Amino acid sequence: MEILKYIGIGLVLLGSIFLLLGAVGIYRMPDVYNRLQAGTKATTLGAMSLILGVGFMEPEWLVKTLILVIFIGIANPLSSHVLARSAYKNNQMPIIKNGIDAYKKINDSEKSEEN
Amino acid sequence: MKNIIVIALLLVVGFYLVDSFNYIKFGDNRLGAPSDEKTVGAYYLNNTVEKTGVANVITAIIVNYRGFDTLGEVTVLFLATTGLGSILYRRRKEGEHEERVTKESSYLLQTGSKILFPFVILLGIYVFIHGHLTPGGGFQGGAIVATGFLLMLIAYKNFKLGHNQLTWVESLAGITFVSIGMWGLITGGTFLENSFIPKGTLNSLFSGGIIPIIYIAVGFKVAAELTGVLDILLSIKPSKIKK
Repeated sequence: MEILKYIGIGLVLLGSIFLLLGAVGIYRMPDVYNRLQAGTKATTLGAMSLILGVGFMEPEWLVKTLILVIFIGIANPLSSHVLARSAYKNNQMPIIKNGIDAYKKINDSEKSEEN
Repeated sequence: MKNIIVIALLLVVGFYLVDSFNYIKFGDNRLGAPSDEKTVGAYYLNNTVEKTGVANVITAIIVNYRGFDTLGEVTVLFLATTGLGSILYRRRKEGEHEERVTKESSYLLQTGSKILFPFVILLGIYVFIHGHLTPGGGFQGGAIVATGFLLMLIAYKNFKLGHNQLTWVESLAGITFVSIGMWGLITGGTFLENSFIPKGTLNSLFSGGIIPIIYIAVGFKVAAELTGVLDILLSIKPSKIKK
């Protein structure tokens, strides 16, 4: 049981570090997409490991925390995908240094389908 | 003649105002600490569990002690929905409500919301069924259920809501609420009296007499109303908004 507790503390620590990095990333990154990446990727892993760590510290709650982790694993990437897609569709252009915009072709074909 | 009636009415209102202010002394703390037996809060905290058989005191106050107020809140929501529907009804007549404002969403969102939708509905129903045991209740659970429908409305452009079914659910829930209240009058008590259903054991799902039934009815009503509002608001023709 002691080992489980230490694993839990380690997971909570990892999660808080990732959440902190995500917060710094939102402040530091230059455009919408980079900020989304910092804000959602970091919080997905951060929140998941934090909640799982709490579950390891209190083994009675482990099943509930696993359900929460699965929910975050489905919902958080999905919402970040939707945010990024709608930002692109509303002409929020990303900062591109090498000139490659892979989504442009797909977006144009979708637009021509709509009209 | 009119002035005399106005003066008489003012006198009656003034008399009861002065009377009740006389009854409560100036600066008297009637909402104070539960340790002080005289206060209202102490009365509720000390007597609610025993009298209503509900573990959640807030729910007991909202649904039982202030049940009339909750009925009024539900009515306000109903009036808001009806008003919105009647304002936007004329446009629907001209065939402009066929299309939804939202654009076609990605396959990821469609699949994801198909997976998440039953769980969101389940959570909402859980919240309003357990309104007398845990935090939350009819209004919160209904709002969560409406959120699930909002997810489906955004993800699927062709997701159709049966307006007849929504109206039926809403009306039946409202009728349940009022008729349970009237049953209290029929059995010889007051409106919304909690006495004709056995109270059950404290802290179990079947406890509290009429309180969970009313909260479930409120949950269905709020869910149907908010879903109807979302559907009405999301189906205005896009060209109207752009211009």
